[in-house]
Amino acid sequence: MAPDAPRTLEVMSPPAILVRGLKKFYGDKPAVDGVDLEVPRGSFFGFLGPNGAGKSTTIRILTGLIPADEGTIEILGYRLPGEELEIKRRIGLVPDESLLFDRLTGAEFLEFVGRMYGLNRATAMERARDLLDLFELRIDRKLIAEYSKGMRKRVAMAASLIHHPELFLMDEPFEGVDAVGARLMKDILIGQVKRGATIFLTSHVLEVVERLCDRVAIIHEGRIVRSGTLAELRDGGESLEDAFVRVVGAERHMERFDWL
Amino acid sequence: MIAAILKAQLLSMRISASRGSRFSVITAVIWYGLWAIGAAAVYVGAAHASRAQLDVWLPGGFLAVCGYWQLVPVLSASMGAGLDMRKLLIYPAPHGKLFQVELLLRLATGAELVMVLAAGTLGLLSNPETGGWRTFPGLAAAVLIFVLFNLLLASGVRSLLERLLSRRKVREVLGIFLVMLYVAPRLLISSGARPGKLGGFLAAAGVVGLPWTAAARAGLPLGGNESRWPALAVLCGWTLAALWFGRAQFERNLRYDVMAAQATPLGDATSRVQLWKERFYRLPSLMWRDPLAGIVEKELRSLARTPRFRMVFIMGFTFGLAVWFPMVVTRHGRTPSAPPQYFLTLVCVYALTLLGQVTFWNCFGLDRSAAAIYFAAPPPIADTLLGKNIAALFFVYLEVLVLVGITVALRITRGWPRVIETLVVVGVCSLYMFGIGNLSSVHFPRGVSPQRVSQGGGSGFQGLLFLLYPLALLPVLLAYLARYALGSELAFWLVMSIAATIGGVVYWIAMESAAHAATRRREQILQELSKGEGPVAAE
Repeated sequence: MAPDAPRTLEVMSPPAILVRGLKKFYGDKPAVDGVDLEVPRGSFFGFLGPNGAGKSTTIRILTGLIPADEGTIEILGYRLPGEELEIKRRIGLVPDESLLFDRLTGAEFLEFVGRMYGLNRATAMERARDLLDLFELRIDRKLIAEYSKGMRKRVAMAASLIHHPELFLMDEPFEGVDAVGARLMKDILIGQVKRGATIFLTSHVLEVVERLCDRVAIIHEGRIVRSGTLAELRDGGESLEDAFVRVVGAERHMERFDWL
Repeated sequence: MIAAILKAQLLSMRISASRGSRFSVITAVIWYGLWAIGAAAVYVGAAHASRAQLDVWLPGGFLAVCGYWQLVPVLSASMGAGLDMRKLLIYPAPHGKLFQVELLLRLATGAELVMVLAAGTLGLLSNPETGGWRTFPGLAAAVLIFVLFNLLLASGVRSLLERLLSRRKVREVLGIFLVMLYVAPRLLISSGARPGKLGGFLAAAGVVGLPWTAAARAGLPLGGNESRWPALAVLCGWTLAALWFGRAQFERNLRYDVMAAQATPLGDATSRVQLWKERFYRLPSLMWRDPLAGIVEKELRSLARTPRFRMVFIMGFTFGLAVWFPMVVTRHGRTPSAPPQYFLTLVCVYALTLLGQVTFWNCFGLDRSAAAIYFAAPPPIADTLLGKNIAALFFVYLEVLVLVGITVALRITRGWPRVIETLVVVGVCSLYMFGIGNLSSVHFPRGVSPQRVSQGGGSGFQGLLFLLYPLALLPVLLAYLARYALGSELAFWLVMSIAATIGGVVYWIAMESAAHAATRRREQILQELSKGEGPVAAE
């Protein structure tokens, strides 16, 4: 069931994310091919798609990490490119692993991130300690390089919370996280939506999306093939997994692989 | 914000330094020690030079400083080291502040030059012919502006090179060009160039419109103080131009999409070139059975697609050839009538040592993300090492064939006996080197980035092991000694046969030992290979 979000925000403010005609090419191949997307404020938005569909590329464009080749982007009412700093101050990002600083400890990394978002050192250190405690990450000399995959995701999510953002962009936040950690992260995210934040996440775990998200878009080969509320997507009461497979045309005829 | 970035950088360096790398610390002490001696020499020279000497040599000195300062980012960019600012792009850091961090890092990478400039300035101030401390304000201003000019220019040069080096194919070509710059002076000198013949070049360097001359004239005016101001204005003009260049290039770098630049174009998979490549990769299947053939084929495919390997492979027949080329060039730039008999052999053995860094010296390094499969899969680890060695030998002999072709075309190599001798020597040397390489690969593994074109790739201890190469070549050298001492080809081939036999035994023993060590140390090996790169700076 989707969490209760403050719907008044949807009416009063511009959408959290508004994308029109977004295109991005890698060589000759379009990674994102004319994506239109509207994510209302206060929503828990699931961005789904098979591997290589363009999810991560879209998130990287939205965070300003890579430029789009075509299209317009507005995030929290600010235009991208042009108002990157205003946008970056207001978003929390759970990126792929390569954006973590491996040779810092968890506490050092969180303090660093806090200071990058303009917190003074004392506040950054205090929040870092709180977040490490919340995410059950011990304050020790262990480097992020030595963290397990789940711990890396936890520290990335902790970093995304430190400056109290209005919008979260999350690339596979639950990947490699154990059940306890996933539960903790879900509770925190639901809490963030309840306070009015918007969450935009990609995930391959459709059960998680089904339980958390109120809106979903499915991207396939760089194009949005379906978007809407969960109820709209699950036409006829089928599961999200069935709807997803039907939409992206991923059904396989296993009889061809009799050796399997 | 700048403080936070610098603190993060320092923390990461502190931690990595405390976890080994004593070799790096020793190297740094020696390096800066040598520069301190150089700075002292500059101080003495500046303090005791006559005014006439200073007027001539000061622009040259500033030019040398400028040249070196620009060379540092060129080398570091071509070797893949340096700051990865893109990691900071997700934070609300204004690009101007990131640029300030970049300049501070450029200052840090040119610390030795700051030392030299400071020593030179102090020397000039203590020289009675320059007017002593009365000249301090003008000289200090000129030196500081010149330092700023260099920092800005170095930043721009580095950003531009980083973008160029990230492009497919361009990276290798540019890398080779930059490395060739290193051997160019040697080639020039061996072809008869003398410092005396550089007079025209020095005269051109003395034009006041150039930044180094302007810095010299602004610091020590030729006439009265009135000639200082035009020089200072010229220097400021250059600094503003460098600011524009550095900032613009830095900005373009931040917006640059590396993935898009490196994307594989959608090509026709059945093109003629593809078919030939496919035949080459399938060659091992004609000679061996699986799983060995599969391992060799995988190595051939992945190495051929690794920028770091391609760079070193190309260097083997470009840089390697250029390094030894003075042997066949006389002082007047002509090749002698009888080319040195060992030229081809030397160049090929040198190419073998170059290839070692990306093939057998640290053979799991480029496989960092998939190394676990070697321990999880059914084939024994000895098969993996053997497969990697065979693939390395494929490329070693491919390199030798290219070198034979070039030297025959240049009429440096004449006659088949020389070629056959080289093929045998390279084979025997490979036995010893692969043996040592297998041991070092399992005892000192280190993950390396296949994207980078650095020559490095081994830990400090592996660097020391590099000194063992001459020992590994000793049996082959004994064969040449036998030929020289006894004047007999038979003696040469006899000793070479013994060297080959011993090499086979050494290789076999080393392989057994490496296989046992790999099984015993697999956890440490995988842990070492999985270590990530630094938070801000890499390698």
